[in-house]
Amino acid sequence: MIFNSISYFLLFLIPGAVGFRLLPPALRSWWIAVLGSLFFVYYSVTELAGWLGAACLLLFLWESILSRLYSPASRWCLVGVAAALVSLGVFKYWNFFVGLATSADKNHPWHWAGQFLPLGISFFTFEFIHYAVDRWKGRAERGTIGEYLAFILFFPTMVAGPIKRFQDFLPNLREPSKECALDWRVGITRILCGLAKKFAIADLLTAFTDHLNPTDVATAPRWVLPVWLLAYGMKIYADFSAYSDIAIGSARLFGLKVPENFDWPYLQTSISGFWRHWHISLGKWLTDYVFIPLGGSRNGLAATCGSLLVTMMVSGLWHGAGLNFVVWGAWHGGLLVLQRCWASLVPGESGPIGRAFGWIATFSAVNLGWAFFCMDLPTSMLFLRRLFLG
Amino acid sequence: MKPPKSTTPSPGRLKRLIEHANGCTDWWNDARRSTLPGWIWGLWWTLLLMIIALTCGQSSKFIYIDF
Repeated sequence: MIFNSISYFLLFLIPGAVGFRLLPPALRSWWIAVLGSLFFVYYSVTELAGWLGAACLLLFLWESILSRLYSPASRWCLVGVAAALVSLGVFKYWNFFVGLATSADKNHPWHWAGQFLPLGISFFTFEFIHYAVDRWKGRAERGTIGEYLAFILFFPTMVAGPIKRFQDFLPNLREPSKECALDWRVGITRILCGLAKKFAIADLLTAFTDHLNPTDVATAPRWVLPVWLLAYGMKIYADFSAYSDIAIGSARLFGLKVPENFDWPYLQTSISGFWRHWHISLGKWLTDYVFIPLGGSRNGLAATCGSLLVTMMVSGLWHGAGLNFVVWGAWHGGLLVLQRCWASLVPGESGPIGRAFGWIATFSAVNLGWAFFCMDLPTSMLFLRRLFLG
Repeated sequence: MKPPKSTTPSPGRLKRLIEHANGCTDWWNDARRSTLPGWIWGLWWTLLLMIIALTCGQSSKFIYIDF
């Protein structure tokens, strides 16, 4: 729940935003850090992994201590990246890789029966890595420990982004907007739109998307399958963009601006356009910290295609510890590779008919890909077999 | 402040209006720092609150929470 719960607004958002505006500037970072810690503990205990999950607040404390050692070209930055990856690997992927190695034997001694996912680990890990890499490259200012804690513990974006950058957040934190009336008008509008989108669109579409399970997929009439899949495509957009709206609107009540995550993704006429407009903060993170370090577009078409495929498979695995997510990433990687090859064969801008065709192809391919995202691999293969072969 | 008088409706203008009503942009017209009249905001918020009140209570978790 979190963003669609009363406790979020009454216990955290409204007191947090009002307190932030009233406190002297020197205390504001610490105010965010304290509230963020309480937020993490409260929702870990009440909604996710209990007190054990709440103890994962130590990850933030460890990271904040380690971050004080970062400096340009320092090996401590690499230690920080490794530490962040290890914690993500243990909490999110331990059972996945043990399962691959032991043929999914749940009685194997290495299987972690009580595995849990700390609140927001996939997102805060990316912010930890970003800071370590950017400090190593000299692209990010050090900031005080209070400012860094405010960055990693800023609760509106802690759980599911948008993924922030320290160099963008810091100036805003030091000098938040003083246009209180404008910030609250825009912030409240954004939050109300997000809640309406979540309740009236995303949650109502659950009536369709609940059918995406092995039993219903195997027995339903063929014509209904694309309707369910399309409903999932709409649901995930409404759900995640609603989440981002509430996060961005919440930040705005503090007078802080955080990155946008969506910009009409389903109207895009190419798959690369889709990825520039869908989960924008993740796309930029993957470009800067995976695609470019792998060589980016600098080493010819074949190497670029390889980097694209690997980047999208990493994106898939980040979305979930399952083979279906890897296939979903590979599907998008393959589409991006196809687009690159096509662009190298047929350079130049396309006309209105080309754009219309591009939109139909992009929309269809993206929505087809959701089959791998919302069902496990055997169910998604069954779904596609039934969809295309009857 | 009132939004500027429109000339002809266009997809760009409609997109901008939707984004402004969603709180994605601060101003309907950045150059003039103009927004919609107060009574329209009042109606819009009331409508959104009614939608929320009518449809809440059947909510599920956000999809990205478990990531």
